[in-house]
Amino acid sequence: MSMPRSLRSRLILASVLWTAGLLMLLHMGSLHVVHAVPALRGSHGGIVTILGVAILIAGLAAARSSLTPFLALREKIAALRAGRETRIDGAYPTEVQPLIDSLNALLADREKALERARLTAGDLAHGLKTPLALLSREAAMAREAGHGELAAAIEQHIRRMSNQVDYHLARARVAASGPNAAAIPLSPCIDSLVRTLRKLHAARTIDIQIRISPEIGVRVNAEDVEEILGNLLDNACKWAKTRVTLAVDRMDSMTAITIEDDGPGLAADLRQQVLQRGVRVDEAVPGSGLGLSIARDLTEHYGGTIALEASSLGGLLARITLPAG
Amino acid sequence: MRLLIVEDEALLARQLAGAAAAAGYAVDCAHDGEQANFLAGTEEYDAVILDLGLPKMDGLTLLRQWRQSGIATPVLILTARGSWHEKVQGIDTGADDYVSKPFQVEEVLARIRALIRRATGNFTTELRAGNITLDTRAARATLGGIPVKLTSHEFRVLSYLMHHQDRVITRSELTEHIYAQDFDRDSNTVEVFVARLRRKLGPGSIETVRGIGYRIAQ
Repeated sequence: MSMPRSLRSRLILASVLWTAGLLMLLHMGSLHVVHAVPALRGSHGGIVTILGVAILIAGLAAARSSLTPFLALREKIAALRAGRETRIDGAYPTEVQPLIDSLNALLADREKALERARLTAGDLAHGLKTPLALLSREAAMAREAGHGELAAAIEQHIRRMSNQVDYHLARARVAASGPNAAAIPLSPCIDSLVRTLRKLHAARTIDIQIRISPEIGVRVNAEDVEEILGNLLDNACKWAKTRVTLAVDRMDSMTAITIEDDGPGLAADLRQQVLQRGVRVDEAVPGSGLGLSIARDLTEHYGGTIALEASSLGGLLARITLPAG
Repeated sequence: MRLLIVEDEALLARQLAGAAAAAGYAVDCAHDGEQANFLAGTEEYDAVILDLGLPKMDGLTLLRQWRQSGIATPVLILTARGSWHEKVQGIDTGADDYVSKPFQVEEVLARIRALIRRATGNFTTELRAGNITLDTRAARATLGGIPVKLTSHEFRVLSYLMHHQDRVITRSELTEHIYAQDFDRDSNTVEVFVARLRRKLGPGSIETVRGIGYRIAQ
C-alpha cells in the first residue's frame, strides 16, 4: 500500500488504523465482561453512542487544528513574496519550527547578499566615474592643444560609459527591491524635490506650481519615488521657459501624477523614443539623457505606467501612474 | 575670489585647482574631511567645491557642521553617486548646487561663478562700475570697452571689489580673499595691488575710505 501524498489523508489513515485496532481489542474485552456479568447487556446504550460520536468529532477537530498552522504559513509566504513582510513570524508546531527558522535564516542571508550587491554596484560606479572625470579633463586639454576631433571622440565615449554606469546602477537598485512597498505620503517627497530643483535651476527663474492633497500616497520605495519624479521634474525644468506644473490625483487603485512645462515640447515620434534606453534627443542639454528611461523602468517595476503627451502649456506633458497607498 | 577644493583623488583635485587658478581664483585644496574642516573654519572662501566620498569625515557631515556653525559660503557638491535621493539630501543639508561625475571642468567653473554672483547679489555675468566692466565668464576686465591687462592678484582684488560694490571692503578682508593659504603675503601687499589697479584703471577708480578700507567708485 502506497502512502497518500496529502498530510491530511495520512493523518486520517493513521487514525482509522488506530481506531480499528482499538475496536478489535474493545470487542474482545466486552465479550469477556458480558460473559462474566450478563446483567450489563443492553443497558447505557444511548449514553455510550453519544459519547462515541462526541469523541469522533473532537478527533476531527484536533486533526483539523493541527493543520491550520500550514494555512497561516501559506499566507505569510504570500505576504513575504508581496514584500509586505520580511520574516516569517509566529509560533509553529515543534516539527515545523526548525524548518521556519532555517527559512528565516535563508531570508536574512539573501537580504545581506542583495545589500552587498547594491553596495558593490555603488562602489563600482564611484570607482569608474572618478577616472572618467579625469579623462574628461584630458579631452578638454587635447582640445586646447588643437586636437578637437580626438577630444570629441573621447568625450562621446566618456558619455556612453557614464550612461552605462548610471543605467545599470539604477537597474541594480530596482532588482534589489521588491515590487510591493509600504505606502508613503507623496507630499513631503515632492516638497523636498521641488526645493532641490529650485536650487539646481536657480540660474533661471522657473515657476514650479504644485497641486496635491496631503493624504495622497503611493506604494513605492521613497528613494525610487524621488528618482522617478526627480528625473521627470528635472527634465521639465531644463526645457521650460518659465513654468512647470505638477498635479497629483487619486484614480481608483492608482495615483496619477501629471508634470507639464511650457518649453518647446517634443514631436510625437520622439516622445516614444526618449523613453527607450539611452536616447538623448538634444546633446547640448546637460544631463545623462538616461533619466527618462530610468524613470520608466522604475515605474514599470512597481506596476505603474508612464506616458508622454503634448501639454496645453506648449511643452511636454508626462503622465505617471503608481500604485496608490 | 578664493576657492576651497575638497577632493580626495589627488589628480582630479590638481586638475580642478589648475583650471580654477587659470580662471583667476586663489585656490586651496583639502584631501580629506578633517583638513577641509580645518581650512573652512580658519580661512575665508567665496565658494567651496566639495566631493562627498572623503576619508576621515564624509562630505555631508562636513557640510552639516559648517551650516550649523554659521558658515554660509556657497557649496557645490561633486559626486559619483548621482541619484536624486542623494541630490535631495545634499541640498537639504545646505549645498547650493550639485554636479555629478564625470563632469566638464568648464561646467563646474560656470556653476561656481553663478554661485558667487548670486551669493553677492549680482545677477549678470558682466559686472559694471563706472566705465569699468568685469566679464566673470572670460575673467577679463575692460576700461571703456578696451581690455586691461591684469595680473592674477590684481584681477582678484578688482573682482572682489566689483562683486561687493555695495560696501566698503577692509584690507584684511581683501587679503583673506585674494591669497591661497600657502602664499607668502608680505611681499605682495593689498596696497601695492590697489595702487597698480589705480594706475591701470584711473586714479579715481578705487576709493580709499580712511580708516576702513576700499570701495570701487561708481
